[in-house]
Amino acid sequence: MARILAVDDSPSMRQLVKLALSSGGHEVDVATDGVEALQFADKQQFDVVITDVNMPNMDGIALVKELRRRTNYRFVPLLMLTTESTAERKQQGKEAGATGWLVKPFDPDRLLSIVTKVLA
Amino acid sequence: MSASAAEVHCRCAILGVSAEAAAILLAFAMRESEAPAAALGSALERLEQGLRPPAGAPGRELLSLDVAACVRALQFHDRLMQQLAVIRALLTRLADHPLPQMAGFGALRWEELLAALRERLAAQTHDDLIELLVRTGGVGAPGGAGGAAAEGSSELF
Repeated sequence: MARILAVDDSPSMRQLVKLALSSGGHEVDVATDGVEALQFADKQQFDVVITDVNMPNMDGIALVKELRRRTNYRFVPLLMLTTESTAERKQQGKEAGATGWLVKPFDPDRLLSIVTKVLA
Repeated sequence: MSASAAEVHCRCAILGVSAEAAAILLAFAMRESEAPAAALGSALERLEQGLRPPAGAPGRELLSLDVAACVRALQFHDRLMQQLAVIRALLTRLADHPLPQMAGFGALRWEELLAALRERLAAQTHDDLIELLVRTGGVGAPGGAGGAAAEGSSELF
């Protein structure tokens, strides 16, 4: 079981990601944007962070950059889960330090298998 | 100002008012839809927890498949919100006002808009607005660009 932080400004998406991952036995916390996610990440250590890209206050790319600056998140898997699908945005995510890029809508089983894979 | 220039100016003003009204209505509808979608997600989570049979019990796999189907289907709301946000942004660009007054759904501005619409709106305006939106283009085309990843795809770097 892993401790996962799911970040999305959409309440329904937060719930769906949480539902999908908790059904796989993971413990999931949720944050509404990058700023809140950083506050959570500074208070406790997560094994995986899954974040949307387009969010108010701080977007997912900026969040990944900020997390990678922290020594305790340098090697933690950071997954982008977004409707953004262009090669340019994906490259931005990669350069920021993201571990992977998942395009919505997500399949719960697929999401679980990816989380398992990046945790291995 | 010539008669035709005045007519063009008037049409632009009508379009601006129409676009602003449409953007406000859209924002209102989007906000109203958030709570029901979130309630549905919460209910699904409770159902899944309440009905989950023990591991290996008959029906466990079926429940998991049904929950997965619900999770996939419920994501339509997020997708719809993203598309409507693009349309709202386009409408905002057409509007007379940049819409900062929308915070808290400014009732006063809404009354002004309704009055303006009643005064100015003609059937022709609807056609003009649609034509303008179509010309602006780009609505709901995320991922249409070359090299875009398919929906539901994933890539580990």
